[in-house]
Amino acid sequence: MPRIAGTDIPADKRIVISLTYIYGIGKALSEKILKNINIDENIRAKDLHEDQLTMISGYIEKSFATEGQLRRQEMQNIARMKSINCYRGIRHKIGLPVRGQRTKTNARTRKGRKKTVAGKKSVKELG
Amino acid sequence: MSRSVKKGPYVDSKLLKKVLKQKEIKSNEPLRTWCRSCTIVPDFVSHTFMIHNGKGFQRLFVTDDMVGHKLGEFALTRIFRAHGGVKKKETPRG
Repeated sequence: MPRIAGTDIPADKRIVISLTYIYGIGKALSEKILKNINIDENIRAKDLHEDQLTMISGYIEKSFATEGQLRRQEMQNIARMKSINCYRGIRHKIGLPVRGQRTKTNARTRKGRKKTVAGKKSVKELG
Repeated sequence: MSRSVKKGPYVDSKLLKKVLKQKEIKSNEPLRTWCRSCTIVPDFVSHTFMIHNGKGFQRLFVTDDMVGHKLGEFALTRIFRAHGGVKKKETPRG
């Protein structure tokens, strides 16, 4: 099992697919990487040469933020927005959707499990 | 969709003029403005703005970190008053 970009260990799949196991690399980026350094994307990860592997990991390291570095970047961006108190930062702070989604219903991922308010519905029905 | 890079950031020309004028005379009086869609450019840093939120003005002192955001992002247009009784913990916004 080859190691690329720190701790990641893609399996014996095609190299395009196994690269997507790295945090921060999806299918499109994976294809682009392999195209740029001229490696056939259909080779299985285990069949790659040692120097091909170092080429891939070297290219990824110098061009993209992945894994821990990317996670840190994301956290910093959110922390920055929180500290300057802009709209997006405020939404992050109070745990509501950030990108303008509706909150009358749904938005359960951000808001967490439903909190039932006693008597809310029945009051409406009477009125 | 985001704005075309070719055009550069949208900056209200009148507001920018006012800021530059203030810079010349080194004053830092709060500038009243309605242009919430105006991007904060580096020239705005360490100036104070009063941004209209539809009803009144909200004071904002611009810092380095705010460059690139719009003025309106810092003056909320809605007030959330906490839901009754049980959930008093929720942070009010605005």
